Amino acid sequence: MMTTDNEKLLEQTFAQMVAQDAPLSEGLMDRIMFDADQVLTERMPAVEASPEPMQGFGAALLDAIGGWMSFGGLTAAAMTGLWVGVFPPDLIYDYSTGVWGDTIEVPLLESDVFSGLEG
Amino acid sequence: MTDADLLSAFATGDRSAALELTQRLTPRVMGQAFRMLGNRAEAEDVAQEAMMRLWKIAPDWDAERALVTTWLYRVVANLCTDRLRKRGRGVALDAIEEPADSAPSVAAEMQDSARITALRSALADLPDRQAQAVSLRHLEELGNPQIADIMDTNVRTVESLIARGKRALIAKLAGRKDELGYDDDNG
Repeated sequence: MMTTDNEKLLEQTFAQMVAQDAPLSEGLMDRIMFDADQVLTERMPAVEASPEPMQGFGAALLDAIGGWMSFGGLTAAAMTGLWVGVFPPDLIYDYSTGVWGDTIEVPLLESDVFSGLEG
Repeated sequence: MTDADLLSAFATGDRSAALELTQRLTPRVMGQAFRMLGNRAEAEDVAQEAMMRLWKIAPDWDAERALVTTWLYRVVANLCTDRLRKRGRGVALDAIEEPADSAPSVAAEMQDSARITALRSALADLPDRQAQAVSLRHLEELGNPQIADIMDTNVRTVESLIARGKRALIAKLAGRKDELGYDDDNG
C-alpha cells in the first residue's frame, strides 16, 4: 500500500467521524440556560429590596389605625386638641358654657363641704 | 441580530438573548465536541463548559476582534484536546472484543470503529496546534483562511500545521496496520 493510500484511509476515517450524529438533548439546553441565569444573577446588581416590613406590636398598632398616613392625621388632630385645651378661643368658651352651663368650683378636701350635708 | 449583538444584550441583562444564542450555537458546539470525542456525555460536558465561558466573557467581548463562532471553535478544540489527552491512550482500542459473527460486514464495521478510536487517540498525541488545525480542517471542514482566524495565525502556517499533523497521524497509526489497515512500510 502506498503512502497516498494511507492518506486516503486517513481522510476516509475523518469522513466517518464527520458523519457521526451529534444528538442534542433538551437537558443540555436546560443546563446551558441555567448557567446563563446564574451568570446573569451574579453579574446584575441586586434589585433594590423594599425595606424590611415592621414586625410585632408597633406594626400591629400602626395597622390598627390605618397605617402611616392615618398616623400623621392622628398626630395633627392631637396637637390641635392640645392647643385648644391650653388656649381656648372665646368662641369655644361661649359655646361650652351654653351647652354645659357655667363652671363651679367644689373644694373636695375641705371638711365644711361634708358638714353642710350632714344637716 | 448578530451573535455579537446578542452577546452584548446578554451582558446588559437580557435573558432572551442568552436563549437565542443557546439555540443558535449549541448544535454547532455539540457537533464539534462530539466529532472530536465520539462520546455523547463528554461532548455535552464540553459544550456546556464552552457556553459557560461565553456567558462569562460577555461583558468584555470585543466584537471587532473575533466572531463569536470563531472564538467558540477555538475553545471547543482546546477543551476536547485536553479531554482526549486525559483519557489515556489505546485503552478503548484494546477493549474492543472480537466480533461473535465473523461476517465480513461486521468485521469491517469493527475495523472502522477501531480506526476512528485510534485516530482520536492519535490526535490526542499530536502537539496542540497540529491537533487543532487538523481537526478544524478535517472534522469541521473549515477552509484554511478561517482556521487561520481561529488559530490567530496565517494561512501558510495552517497549511504547514495540517501537513505535519497528518504525517504524524499516519506514522502513529501505521504501527497498527493489522488492526487498522494502515501500511507501515510506506509510512
